[in-house]
Amino acid sequence: MWYGMLTRAIRNVIVAGLIGLVSAGPALAQTPPAIPRLASGKPDFSGIWQTLSEADYDLEPHSGRSDAPPSVGVVDLGTLPYLPKALPQKQRNFAARLKDDPRLKCWTLGVPRSVYYPAPFQIFQRDRDLTLVHQLGHQVRTIHTNDTLHPVEQDQGFWLGDSRGRWEGDTLVVDVTDFNDETWLDRSGNYHSDKLHVVERWSFVDKDTISYKATVEDPKVFARPWTVSILLNRRRDKDFQLVEDYCATLVYDQYYPHTESK
Amino acid sequence: MHARNALPAVLALVAAWTPIVSAQSPAPPPNPAAGGGQVILWEKTVPKIASGAWRGPVLADGQPDVQGHWSNTIANHNNWTDPQAGAPGEPTAAAKLPRDQRAPSRVTDPADGEIPYLPAARAKQQDFAKNFTNPSKPGYIEPLARCAPAGVPKSFIWHGYEIRQYPGYVLFLFNSGTRIVRLDGKPHLPDNIKLWNADSRGHWEGNTLVVDVRNNNAKALFGRSGDFASDNVVIEERFIFDPDGKRYNYVAKFTDPTVYSRPWTATIPARRYTEADKDDGWHYEGVPANRPGKPLLHERMERICVENNGPFGGGAVGVPLDGPIISR
Repeated sequence: MWYGMLTRAIRNVIVAGLIGLVSAGPALAQTPPAIPRLASGKPDFSGIWQTLSEADYDLEPHSGRSDAPPSVGVVDLGTLPYLPKALPQKQRNFAARLKDDPRLKCWTLGVPRSVYYPAPFQIFQRDRDLTLVHQLGHQVRTIHTNDTLHPVEQDQGFWLGDSRGRWEGDTLVVDVTDFNDETWLDRSGNYHSDKLHVVERWSFVDKDTISYKATVEDPKVFARPWTVSILLNRRRDKDFQLVEDYCATLVYDQYYPHTESK
Repeated sequence: MHARNALPAVLALVAAWTPIVSAQSPAPPPNPAAGGGQVILWEKTVPKIASGAWRGPVLADGQPDVQGHWSNTIANHNNWTDPQAGAPGEPTAAAKLPRDQRAPSRVTDPADGEIPYLPAARAKQQDFAKNFTNPSKPGYIEPLARCAPAGVPKSFIWHGYEIRQYPGYVLFLFNSGTRIVRLDGKPHLPDNIKLWNADSRGHWEGNTLVVDVRNNNAKALFGRSGDFASDNVVIEERFIFDPDGKRYNYVAKFTDPTVYSRPWTATIPARRYTEADKDDGWHYEGVPANRPGKPLLHERMERICVENNGPFGGGAVGVPLDGPIISR
């Protein structure tokens, strides 16, 4: 029950935020909100961020269920445009989600899931790159913003892809390629192949809110590209900080240091 | 090579490679197994670097700029106090040489190079060392073999690593684990929170990064010899950088009355790696960035371990994780 109430509260916040966004739209173009900037003038996304959305539970519209609060969905097409041949795998994943979701082993979540997984991550930013340190597990992603290209060597099968960013005005556009097929897109078993290609768009709504959009294409799984849109909120709790969560170690950490010895 | 498979391959390489190099000590030949074909050199001496003023480049927030790739110059985590003698039960050829022909103990105080364990703690360390090559219980598996974070201080003797700096932060990207050193002067986490990489609060004194380290879960151990602290340990780290920014010494004072009879000090020398160095598969694993027509620039690749954990290292076995661990 608690999450139903929480969800309603969160949804109200989001709806209010969206209404504010829409109504502020024309004004935004004329008087951009003050946002943090590096000395170079580029937007400075440094800080600790986390989504309030239900995206990680299920990207698609869904009613509340035992393992997920309800949500109207966060994908532009409503549902994901699976190829007919790819849909049965999603259905198998959904049926086995309580044991097969890679997150349950604390494995690297991939992109874009690592961004909307409901735990904080910290962005450290320099002119040359952004470093995303995720609290869950051991995930660290570098988004290069130094005019470098994807590696010449292809098919390296990265868990977090290879991320190359460029600026379009105040929007950071990141092309992410060269994934493996081991990660899921959410807890409900939405998935991708190693042909996944993601284009992210990061931009400030205001100084404490990032609009994050990820356009996903995967010709082996989806009939057409689709876009997930969520907001990232700055964690402003007093003295908030990441607390490492190497949860893959929980199955054996009781053996150390030397707890079995005489 | 698939990136997701890269780490176990490297781990296997190191496991196979360590005795080979050590067997040729004191003048290791080129290591044919190393990625770039460059010689991985283990030095036998520790340079002296004095604390003092920093005259090198500074960042906008005033921090000395020490960003880049670094690695220790002495040995891996085989053996804490006799770093080039090999892991317990796996002595190198160099282990037969007179002690002064190998690198000194990482323990620089007390002068005898030994960790001043209390008797019960010494017995635990020796029990681990005795069982390392044939781990009959889970606790005898060196935690890195399970892809655990290498923690403090072992991260500084496990592969090369990258330092990135930001206003208020020094970030260490290790081969196994990531450590955030906060420079904001705020207090440590509550005492009951214990972490693989501990909780680090630092400040700069001239050429020296001084870090107060608490909240250490102490589970990582210091390496294959089983040396260790308890989760009560307080570590005062001093990263003393030389004037030209090419080397630094890690000097750390360990205080833990539940394990040691007195505080003791460790010293780990490190050197910088740059685009002038080749990928050697251990100290330096920089990959050339794709930027045609521009000068060589090395990049760090993603580090993945637990997802494809395989066997490596001494008698330690890989510990694949197949089932759910968390329910959140």
